[in-house]
Amino acid sequence: MIINGVTIDETFAEAFPMKGTRLIITALNAKWAMISAQTFTGFATSVIACGCEAGIEKVLDTSETPDGRPGVSILIFAMGGKSLAKQVETRSGQCVLTSPTSALFSGLDSETEIALGQNLRFFGDGFQISKMIDGKRYWRIPVMDGEFLTQEKTGVQASVGGGNFLVLAESQEQALIACEAAIVEMKKCPNVIMPFPGGVVRSGSKVGSKFKALNASTNDAFCPTLKGQTKSDLSPEVESVMEIVIDGLTKEDIDVAMRVGIQAVCDLGAENGIRRISAGNYGGKLGPFHFHLQEIMA
Amino acid sequence: MSSLTFTLKSSPAQRIDCSLLTPDLLTDKSVTDIAAIELVTGNSTERVDSLFDILGDDASNIKFVNSTDKLDFIGRNMTLGKISVDGNVGGYLGLFLDGGQIEVTGDTGVYTACEMKSGQIKINGNAGEFVGGARPGYKNGMTGGIVIVTGNTGERTGDHMRRGMILIEGNAGDYCGARMISGTIAVLGKVGAHLGYAMKRGTLLLTQAPSQGIPANFNDCGSHTLAFLPLLFASFAKLDSKFSDLESFSRVQRYAGDLAGIGMGEILVKI
Repeated sequence: MIINGVTIDETFAEAFPMKGTRLIITALNAKWAMISAQTFTGFATSVIACGCEAGIEKVLDTSETPDGRPGVSILIFAMGGKSLAKQVETRSGQCVLTSPTSALFSGLDSETEIALGQNLRFFGDGFQISKMIDGKRYWRIPVMDGEFLTQEKTGVQASVGGGNFLVLAESQEQALIACEAAIVEMKKCPNVIMPFPGGVVRSGSKVGSKFKALNASTNDAFCPTLKGQTKSDLSPEVESVMEIVIDGLTKEDIDVAMRVGIQAVCDLGAENGIRRISAGNYGGKLGPFHFHLQEIMA
Repeated sequence: MSSLTFTLKSSPAQRIDCSLLTPDLLTDKSVTDIAAIELVTGNSTERVDSLFDILGDDASNIKFVNSTDKLDFIGRNMTLGKISVDGNVGGYLGLFLDGGQIEVTGDTGVYTACEMKSGQIKINGNAGEFVGGARPGYKNGMTGGIVIVTGNTGERTGDHMRRGMILIEGNAGDYCGARMISGTIAVLGKVGAHLGYAMKRGTLLLTQAPSQGIPANFNDCGSHTLAFLPLLFASFAKLDSKFSDLESFSRVQRYAGDLAGIGMGEILVKI
């Protein structure tokens, strides 16, 4: 398959099951809601070392938030419900509870729930106040700038992590420009995040390593400087490869985001140095979800 | 199907225990069976059809017509369906209510919504003493649900209240929120003396300052913008009440008490 001079490889991205939730952070103004959300989602690029993958899903206006203030919705994913609960609790406690004027709500209703403010309430040292509103419990925790309001629990759902595609370009700059264009369009898609810095990862990995201590290592087949040293998957004219990783609440959400992102890259086309779109395919070692690029772009 | 209607034939000489006439207990019963149910009245019992004319067959939607303040325990232990009452009712309306709706066009007697667990009660009139309270000798009043009173409530509204909301469009009598354990009482009108007496936790939300002042056992915590209030007002939007039209506010003067006890309750007055 070739779109606008860009070859779409006959391959697929492999993704794996995760547990995910959506949280809504509000604040006195959009600036502080964003600061809190950025802090919460910091150091959450890869579950391998961060314990979770998180990112900002959407900026919310006052009509979209529970308390009628400006807000930001974030998605956070982990390998299981317990690890997700731990990440949600520590990040909420350190990054939202501490953030001026913030409030924290669940953005996902589900029968399966994990603690949100359920344990943060003890920070109130006995002065915390519970309120049941519309069947949901909230905690009012007295803090120095007033009260921190948080919902007690948030829903959890089975999700998908690690959807991805690779952009193969003639130069670093062209790869980066293409990925930036893709991220702009993908950020418009609901229920997904691209957790790496700016949504783009330049250090794609393969499963395993020659070093026993490591579970993953550099994807040498796509490293342009190793074209003459390893079994490379790159043609001579490809000088830079960048990857976009997508986590989503459902496989369908990732399908949509991948299609939108790949299309944006292809719109730049061969004339802007884009040669191929490929994907992280680890021979079935990584996960049960397979995103076939040519099917997605058909 | 039309609603199952019980029209009181005449003003009863004795009080009538109507606790057997709920959607839970009458579903799947024929009109003949319902007519033969014996209700306790005074120190004896009488058949339902000797007290009421019975019409209709939809037991999930029960109506009491020509009701008087002698009809006690309407909606006791109810968990589903709806009961509408045309007229006044006696004591213990909605005792142990755990779902469904009750609406009354007149006034209610003592212990309305006593130990109610969930569901909704709307009184388009005045309510007697101990709305949402606990039975004498018991320590937990209502533990959930919403009570709306368009008129006034009597003394000791929310006594021992544990959870849930009581929304009073009119005035509340003396000792409103007394011995309250938690939950929310909101009053659009005036409140009587001894507001929040022995209150442990919970919120008394007032749109006007108490005419008799804040009780001495409450301390002023200052004026604040509280983030939970817009959520609370948003939850009122679906209610058939003046509270749904109330303009949302989050600026309040906060008073904490009753400091003679643990002092974790609060009176919030709109500013």
